[in-house]
Amino acid sequence: MAIQPLDSTLEGMSNDVAPQRLKLRSKPSRTADKIFFAVAKAAGYSSFVLVAAILFFLMLRAWPAFESQGVVNFIFGAGWNSTTDPQIFHMGPMLYGSLLIAAIGVALAVPMAISISYFIAFMAPERLAKIATVIVDLLAAIPSVVIGLWGLGVFSPVAAEWGRMLSESLGFIPVFSNAVDIFLRSPFIASLVIAVMIVPIISSITREIFSQMDQEIIKGAMALGGTRESIFRKVILPTASGGIVGGVLLALGRAMGETVAIFFVLNLTFDDYNWFKILEPSGGAVASLVLARFNEALDTELSALLAAGVVLFVVTLIVNTIASYIVAKAQPWRKL
Amino acid sequence: MTETLSRPRPKNASPWVKLGSRVRFASWTASLLPAAIFVAAWLGLQLDFMAALLTIFLPIQLLFGAWAGFYSYGRKGVNDGLLVVVTFFFSTFVLVLLASVLWSVISEGAAALSPHFIYQNNRYITGTTGLEIGGAGHAILGSIIITGITTVITVPLGVATAVYLTETRDGARGVVRTLLQALAGLPSVVAGLFIYSMLIVSGWSSQVGLMASLALIPLMLPTIARVAEEALRLVPAELRNGALALGAPSYKAFFMVTLPAAKSGIVTAVLLGVARIIGETAPLILTAVIANETNLNPTAGGMATLPTYIYNFLYLGDATSLQRAWGAALVLLIFVGILFVGARLASATRVGSKPKRRKK
Repeated sequence: MAIQPLDSTLEGMSNDVAPQRLKLRSKPSRTADKIFFAVAKAAGYSSFVLVAAILFFLMLRAWPAFESQGVVNFIFGAGWNSTTDPQIFHMGPMLYGSLLIAAIGVALAVPMAISISYFIAFMAPERLAKIATVIVDLLAAIPSVVIGLWGLGVFSPVAAEWGRMLSESLGFIPVFSNAVDIFLRSPFIASLVIAVMIVPIISSITREIFSQMDQEIIKGAMALGGTRESIFRKVILPTASGGIVGGVLLALGRAMGETVAIFFVLNLTFDDYNWFKILEPSGGAVASLVLARFNEALDTELSALLAAGVVLFVVTLIVNTIASYIVAKAQPWRKL
Repeated sequence: MTETLSRPRPKNASPWVKLGSRVRFASWTASLLPAAIFVAAWLGLQLDFMAALLTIFLPIQLLFGAWAGFYSYGRKGVNDGLLVVVTFFFSTFVLVLLASVLWSVISEGAAALSPHFIYQNNRYITGTTGLEIGGAGHAILGSIIITGITTVITVPLGVATAVYLTETRDGARGVVRTLLQALAGLPSVVAGLFIYSMLIVSGWSSQVGLMASLALIPLMLPTIARVAEEALRLVPAELRNGALALGAPSYKAFFMVTLPAAKSGIVTAVLLGVARIIGETAPLILTAVIANETNLNPTAGGMATLPTYIYNFLYLGDATSLQRAWGAALVLLIFVGILFVGARLASATRVGSKPKRRKK
């Protein structure tokens, strides 16, 4: 059988079945694309607008309070009373209380979160690790009012008992002393409740970093004679430290802004700073202050509450911006 | 030692998982004996559980852990043993706390739950009314309406923000991303104060359901934008470039190729966003009056939601009020659980995406 030369076949084909010439039905439209990108851009810039609007409107209404109380006095002074003349609205103890509770809560939560992440990523059998992951993740989604309910109804009595034991055994240390013999509604309990809320936040970031960690490095450290503990201390922790710090700061922001859960487990004291006596039932929290005074507040006090909101917003904004920067640095695989 | 080294080892081998008989013996002894001593001391001496745990169990367990490490690996192993004990202790503590939250909501909530709790409203109910009448029906409806309005507004905004972050090459993307991260940590009470100062103090509106919906937008936006961004980013660039090469304009390439490929990711974003705001309490207290009756109109009259219902009864503080609060908490938890499971299912069935990076 004679084989036809290739060229002629092709030639013949191109003569017989010439590909039909298609016409573009519609031209790609520049205007539609422009609208598409304009909408996307507008949405992107909406977060600028949102942050600016929040600051602007809060400042607008809060200005009278800043003006009448003085900015420094408002932020650092003590006392909150709408019945005196002139009215006193100073949020110092509240702001300090927020920071104190957040700090203790984070200090309690960090070892717990690192432990549970390490447990899930390196120690637990797969099935147990999965169950633990689901519990921790689900807890991250539980509403704060439910945590508040649990804190008030279930946890407070137990934690008050812990507080009593601490005070009786270690009461000679000023931090644990308690002169009033009431252990409910103390900053200690509020910190523990906060710790329960932020452990899932810290551990979700820590766990992700742990599980993304290059196993070759760990094996290399093993081969060099490392032990479990030295690898954890010298390989795993340094690698994850950026993410942990970022997660801690994110959690700190959340802890300072937490409202309802603290509102039910903390006694607010407006007149004095409670510097360090964490077992006594007096403390402060800016967000709880807003919730506690909001319903009775009239003009001036309302303005002062909004001013407290401004301070809270600015503080958390700073903490969160630093945190997200650090987290982004610590998770390079997230950036593509 | 040399024998094990000469053998070829599979790439993913984890040599630390294999335990020798000495190690096994040591770890069993070190985990059983302290527990036995602790139980004996606790029951025998009638000590307080927590006190016994901290003063008897923990020191003994630490001692045994250190011994087990020493017995198995020599002096280097002491720290290992301590690390294991400390990790176990903290992990158990966390898991017990977290499980206690779940368990108390489920057990206490189930006691208050009944058919009429789901559909009746709160009219004629005071703090001490028995559980045989009254329920959270109005709050469930209110939650659905308020969350629904927020979702309808925020989802397009959030997805468009994600499009901005992934499809454009605008210079401000980094700043927008940082701002979104910062907004994610916005204290919820500030979001409520924002709407209150902008729209309610100025007399533009009273405290109604719509205001609550608006107050939830800044809280929901970051979640949706972030998760949707990750979903869009997982769509292979080849798909989109292919569409563009075939002559599709960018918006068609997005709506016909990228968006369908990222569909399950977007669904995850929406579900996580709803889960984020469905439990928000503080902004709702500031922006909407907590009603006792069913109100389906978001522009007039107060409106109750599940979180504010819980808050309200928690505030009243009577025994039956607390029971109502637990019941509503269980309902809320079921909602959150459904959203959570839905999000997990949606993100598990990702089509047209790169395989997720996993632990080796």
